[in-house]
Amino acid sequence: MTARAWLRLVIVGGRISYRALFNWTSPLMYIPTLLVSPLLGTLFFAYLGRYAGGRDDTFYVLGNGLLAVAGPCVFGGMMALANERRYQTLGAVLGTPAPRGAILVGRAVPYVGNGLFTAVVVTTLAALMLRVSIRIADVPGLLLAALAAAASCTAFGLALGAIGMRVRDVWVISNTVWVSLWLVSGANVARSALPDWLEVVGGLLPISHGIDAARAIAGGSPAAGLIAREVALGAAWAAIATLLFRTFERSGRRHAALDRG
Amino acid sequence: MEPAIEVDGLVRSYSATHGMVRRRRSTVEAVRGVSFQVARGELFGLLGPNGAGKTTTIKILTTLLLPTAGTARVCGLDVVADTRAVRTRIGYVFGGDRGLYDRLSGLDNLRYFAELYAVDPRGLRARIDEVLDLVGLGGREGDRVEGYSRGMRQRLHVARGLLHRPEVLFLDEPSIGVDAVAARELRAVVAHLVEDGTTVLLTTHYMFEADQLCDRIAVIARGSIVAEGTPAQLKDQVADDRVVEVQVFGIGEAEVARVRAITGVTSVIVEDHEQAQALIVHCERSLDVSAEVVAALDGVRVGSIATREPTLEDAYISLVTAAEDG
Ligand SMILES: Nc1ncnc2c1ncn2[C@@H]1O[C@H](COP(=O)(O)OP(=O)(O)OP(=O)(O)O)[C@@H](O)[C@H]1O
Ligand SMILES: [Mg+2]
Repeated sequence: MTARAWLRLVIVGGRISYRALFNWTSPLMYIPTLLVSPLLGTLFFAYLGRYAGGRDDTFYVLGNGLLAVAGPCVFGGMMALANERRYQTLGAVLGTPAPRGAILVGRAVPYVGNGLFTAVVVTTLAALMLRVSIRIADVPGLLLAALAAAASCTAFGLALGAIGMRVRDVWVISNTVWVSLWLVSGANVARSALPDWLEVVGGLLPISHGIDAARAIAGGSPAAGLIAREVALGAAWAAIATLLFRTFERSGRRHAALDRG
Repeated sequence: MEPAIEVDGLVRSYSATHGMVRRRRSTVEAVRGVSFQVARGELFGLLGPNGAGKTTTIKILTTLLLPTAGTARVCGLDVVADTRAVRTRIGYVFGGDRGLYDRLSGLDNLRYFAELYAVDPRGLRARIDEVLDLVGLGGREGDRVEGYSRGMRQRLHVARGLLHRPEVLFLDEPSIGVDAVAARELRAVVAHLVEDGTTVLLTTHYMFEADQLCDRIAVIARGSIVAEGTPAQLKDQVADDRVVEVQVFGIGEAEVARVRAITGVTSVIVEDHEQAQALIVHCERSLDVSAEVVAALDGVRVGSIATREPTLEDAYISLVTAAEDG
């Protein structure tokens, strides 16, 4: 396969597969689920923080703004693979000679973009509503932190989705993970305030280092190391996703599981 | 030139677990030592009753399933070792209602698979239009697949299988669910592909379809090949027979046994039709047993009665019943 065909599979193929497999493409699903809910969440925690004497509004706006990537990225990444089962298309896709790397990257890209978009929208709207000011100079850094969080979160979602190629009920896991991110990512509670083991779990899941980075940027401290950590974590999750995908592809051929619904 | 498909001693068993509390494992031997070869440009039919192992064989040849034992090569490439190279050269159609992206249009389904097969983007739209036209979906390609009828889905499956101009095409019951006119068009498409040099392995439950299309046929029953040859050769196996077909209403075991006992009768099959049954009696060519058969049916209402030459279906049924009884 030529480099050009590889790229086409990522870009053109990725775009088509997004429409094929993402359940929330229609505005009627997209806006309430991916934009309004996280925005309300941000307001909820910010007002709770004001009432209970917690952190300042910036803490919640940046935390929840980045946490907004979880919707499109965790669930989207999952749907990108696990929904093949719903349509029983796995046998058709895996019977093609297409390089698996390009399939996976192509499926990831739209959700990374989506995650970045939701983070920007939620952060901006929440900042406007709560009158939190963000310095123009900080914007590139914040965008970079959000991009890193979206990428690692998508890799994590793909890993869950790969499990979904084999296990029918992965959606239970994803719901649990999503809710637990509210706690362990540090979006609403500083991770240092959590019990040690939860702090560790939060550090291994995506988004937490991205949130740390965003807050560091707003506070004027260096954030490159934190962003690098989020990226490294994303790379690790991408490796796990690829490994799981390959493993289930192989065992699917052995156990006749490629066309199960 | 090496054959397009070479299958040698192919075995595949499935294991299944039963029961929630006391787990029991059982093994189904779906394919038990199948061997055959298909020459380049040949149209080869795999016929057999439900559960005979046809789909299992095709899944192994299309790299979707690993064999338990034996080897298979497509275009000279091993389906287990050279998976990727095999995949670029083959197309397959399993059909059915599933296996398509329901939320996408037919066109976008094809576009996605065109990317997966790395079809040259120049001329892609023309190629897509061409296959849509071949399967008679032109004009409906913009509609979402969730609104497609069963036959339209089946046609889209066929279009997808042809998109990248495969050298070897596997068609597992391609005409299932499509209307009579479309099935005829599909047969013409398949015949045309073979004329152009494509090798086709086809399974079907329609004997006339196999008779009309196939250069050679293998009959598989219970995971083993029980006969192989051209349609004419298979018919020859029952060519010494004459077939008497009697329409009867409510025949019982006793009457069938009486017919079986007539001298010269080699086999008796009862097929259930809507209101009547068809009693199909094979007898030696030199004898005309019609009168004895009618006599043996004393007490049963008898409709039409006809004597005819054996068809491929007769040959198939006699081969399969022999294999399943044995
Ligand atoms: N995934 C599976 N797990 C367990 N057993 C299976 C599986 N697939 C097929 N079998 C069994 O293997 C045997 C052969 O099945 P196969 O689908 O190959 O038959 P077939 O010849 O294609 O039949 P049909 O004409 O009904 O399509 C059957 O007994 C079937 O129950
Ligand atoms: Mg079958």
